[in-house]
Amino acid sequence: MSGDHIHAEPTSFWKKHVFSVDHKVIAKQFMWFGLLWLLIGGLMAMMIRWQLANPGMAVPLVGNLLFSRTDGVIDPATYNMLFTMHGTIMIFLGLTPILIGAFGNWCIPLMIGARDMIFPLLNMLSFWTVVLGGLVGLYSMFVPLGATEAGWTGYPTLSTTVGTQGSGETLWALAVFLIGLSSIMGGINYITTIIRLRAPGMGWMDMPLTIWGMLFTAVLNVLFLPVIGSAMLLLIMDRVFGTTFFVPASIMSGASGGDPILYQHLFWIFGHPEVYILILPAWGLVSDLLSFFARKPAFGYKVTVGAMFAVTLLSAVVYGHHMFTTGLSAMLGESFMLLTMIISVPGEILFFNWLHTIWRGSLRLTSAMLFSMGVIFVFGLGGLTGLYLATISTDIFLHDTYFVVGHFHLTMAASSLFGAFAAIYFFFPKMFGRMMSERLGKIHFWTTIIPLTVVFCTMFISGYGGMPRRYYDHTSASYLAPLQHLNVITTTAAFILGAAQLIFAWNFVRSRWWGAKAPDNPWEVGTLDWTTPTPVPHYNFKEIPVVHTGPHEFSHPKLGDRDWISQTDKLPA
Amino acid sequence: MATLTAELPREDPKARVNSTLGMIFFIGSWSMAFGTLYLSFLILRDRVDIWPPEGIVLPNFALATAGTVVLLASSAAIHAAVRRGRTGAPGFASLWCAGLLLGLAFGVAQTWLWYDLLAAGGAPQSGGYQSLFFGLTWVHAAHVALALIALMWIQYGIRTGRYGPHRISTVQNTAMFWHFMDVVWVVLYLSFFVF
Amino acid sequence: MNALRLSFNPAKTLTRVLASSFALFLFSAGVSAQDVVNRWGPTPSASSYGDDFDDLFWLITALVSVSFALVVILLVVPLIRDRARPGKKASYDHGTSLHDKRFTACVSILVFVVLDAWVLVIAMEDLQTGFWNYPNPDNAATYKVEVLGQQWAWNFRATGLDGEFGTPDDILTTNTLTVPKDRPVSLNFTSKDVIHSFFLPDMRTKRDVNPGSVNIAWFEPVIAGDFDILCAELCGFAHYQMYGKLHVLEQDVFDTWEKEASLMAQAAYDKNDTEAHWAWEWQE
Repeated sequence: MSGDHIHAEPTSFWKKHVFSVDHKVIAKQFMWFGLLWLLIGGLMAMMIRWQLANPGMAVPLVGNLLFSRTDGVIDPATYNMLFTMHGTIMIFLGLTPILIGAFGNWCIPLMIGARDMIFPLLNMLSFWTVVLGGLVGLYSMFVPLGATEAGWTGYPTLSTTVGTQGSGETLWALAVFLIGLSSIMGGINYITTIIRLRAPGMGWMDMPLTIWGMLFTAVLNVLFLPVIGSAMLLLIMDRVFGTTFFVPASIMSGASGGDPILYQHLFWIFGHPEVYILILPAWGLVSDLLSFFARKPAFGYKVTVGAMFAVTLLSAVVYGHHMFTTGLSAMLGESFMLLTMIISVPGEILFFNWLHTIWRGSLRLTSAMLFSMGVIFVFGLGGLTGLYLATISTDIFLHDTYFVVGHFHLTMAASSLFGAFAAIYFFFPKMFGRMMSERLGKIHFWTTIIPLTVVFCTMFISGYGGMPRRYYDHTSASYLAPLQHLNVITTTAAFILGAAQLIFAWNFVRSRWWGAKAPDNPWEVGTLDWTTPTPVPHYNFKEIPVVHTGPHEFSHPKLGDRDWISQTDKLPA
Repeated sequence: MATLTAELPREDPKARVNSTLGMIFFIGSWSMAFGTLYLSFLILRDRVDIWPPEGIVLPNFALATAGTVVLLASSAAIHAAVRRGRTGAPGFASLWCAGLLLGLAFGVAQTWLWYDLLAAGGAPQSGGYQSLFFGLTWVHAAHVALALIALMWIQYGIRTGRYGPHRISTVQNTAMFWHFMDVVWVVLYLSFFVF
Repeated sequence: MNALRLSFNPAKTLTRVLASSFALFLFSAGVSAQDVVNRWGPTPSASSYGDDFDDLFWLITALVSVSFALVVILLVVPLIRDRARPGKKASYDHGTSLHDKRFTACVSILVFVVLDAWVLVIAMEDLQTGFWNYPNPDNAATYKVEVLGQQWAWNFRATGLDGEFGTPDDILTTNTLTVPKDRPVSLNFTSKDVIHSFFLPDMRTKRDVNPGSVNIAWFEPVIAGDFDILCAELCGFAHYQMYGKLHVLEQDVFDTWEKEASLMAQAAYDKNDTEAHWAWEWQE
């Protein structure tokens, strides 16, 4: 697809809407797919919260339908399945398809001035592979012994046949493998496209920061998804062929065997870069959106790129902070502690640049802007609490308590999700040719961020109180019963949070078909994607644009009345 | 999809770089996958004082060596074929065919190696050594199987004139992946049969 | 906009519903479960190094709170002051001046030193003098216990009066661990099946219990009483029920208990019950 020629538009229904190789169609496919799974994962979270606040009580409305065997009550095994699938779904089937699949696909060719991704067929295969992975995961919930209950982390020996019989766990591992494969395909596509298809005049330092975020994410995907892919293969082999990669011989009999801790190393060598994979697109998007809506250049563009690069580089060498209680050697533990603290520094630099971007700007407080500022809030809160967990002496107490749950939901879930919301509100006019309701968007923002803060900050208190995670019921242990009121607070706020998302769902669906028609450039932004007409033609650009200006030239003194300029225009002399 | 030389446009030199770059990233990614498996091998092997463990049935050295030689010869043939294909010299199709047949012979040798070991009582569930041997060689073999299909597809394309000096990058990239498979096998061979 | 011609305004309705839910939430914040007194933090520390955790936790909280307050201020001020207004121009600044670069560098170093390095130094000291300061195994005062985790119970083995593991007078208990006060308690852990984790919240310590290898930990209880043992690694559907009690006894009370328990164990020893003879060579 490189070169200037324009391919004919596909005509058949299947080639146009199902097996399309057009990055814009694939982006929307990923978006609907991801939103559907976010809904499923979110409903699972509501059920988990119900059980924790009301232990042993039947789930209202849907309880008898979903849990008929136990009269509507979630039993301990089902509860374990719920939090396992909740984690797996939200990460692999919700956030990844939306942030990376949908927005990676939408933004990259349009922002760099290309007609499509460099490998369009691979792009299409990447989507259908994640669909296959999702179907395998879905199927795993209906096999006789049900879905896996071993946590999204799937530690052996609980995840081997020692701890879990049945095909649910094996299918889960296969689903993760397939989803990983999809992301690797996407990653190879994104990296090669960004390197090779930038329009003339778009140097590396003229790209929107969104592209940098997508690039670094793609690099991490390509390097580290194979690690978990291999770990899943080894786990599948242990389960299906009786190999002993992760199953140890009893220490008392002295025979040699496998090592369950080996899995943890492999898992987290992938797992820690994975959290950066989820946040880097949001960081890139937010860096751009803050500039766009403050009508100010992105402060410290090169430093921001450098910070994201540093985080990418360091991401693989901090993973041991997930394993401080496993019995790592002191030297290894201390190295991971130091490196984890070091990796927080580039993150702090990003904050500095973001806050400096909006300082003395002229803020247009659209929904996209509110959510971008919201990322600063939630990631600030979540990121700072990482200090407690990076420090071994405090982590020993806090590991596997709700403190960790609060921390990673704020940094990984809330921040990425807010980034996704910001992107949806921002790109919706170009993607669907209509405007979302700004009023509903603002209501959505405030009714989301307030309960969300309550939910996860209460978890910090719970964790500090010693409440372990992945417990079916906190009232049966006398040590934990006095913490139950915190569960009630968390659940109440969580239900409000869940209900608030209905506002978004309503806004999204209603606007998609009945929203006001969108102008070509409603946000008055100069990046190449906004130079296209709406709807965007299948070839994106009639002529490949030539870039003369950076993406953040807002409020340049020479611009006169307007406070923005397109990247294809030259700044006045 | 297969058309005659005259109808297929000459490959865009930029497209050649693009697909080669893509293949390099793909091989980089897959190196991480095989690297993970190999790291697991090293760690689990390091735990054991005596390797191979005493008293177990070992896979057949002769078969494995024969397979290795055949696979290396296959790579050599493929490499020679690609050079002919680039310059338009005769022998492109026949050398590629030789490489493909040698690759299939490797597949046969591998299967024989596994059956031989299984028949002698060494099953994947027999212990750590067997887990690693079967696990790693099976994952490698799965990729070899897919690569062989690619080799066959290229063979068909060479015969119908789709590939030649005018259009060579797909052939080069497939060959690159085949050599990568070869390298991975050599590492496995050295790890299980030599060191 | 109301293309569906509903008889009510969905946005308004939902807003009202959410507002009343929020009010309900504020009310429920005071609700407690059963007849217990609500707790908002851990129980008081009961081990020699427990205060290290509490102190560092609060130091980090102070540092993090100040940092976050700063972030919030820097978010709220532009939110209010810098809103777009007719005629309001944003300042044009790429942040590439030498001053800006120096400022960024200074802030980064300052943040690292104040937030990270300070905490790091304290943590290293806490680890060296506390958590990882394993007691001398040859010291007779060290009380040794082997812990065998299983789905879903804690099995404990103490040496009994003879000081040796694997002898008939070994005191075997399930889900109850009795230790002396003011003496270091040294622990060995392994699991029969899946990974568990031995969590003593009052003592502020935790260690994973892995199948196939032995982990070590130690603590010194400084308060007598009954404390709690929780499992802190998902180990199956009854993970939440894997709960034990730790009894810390004054030295003289403990001596009496140990003597009695050891003699009872000796008398009850059944050389044919091989499952009860789990034990391993003590690891340091």
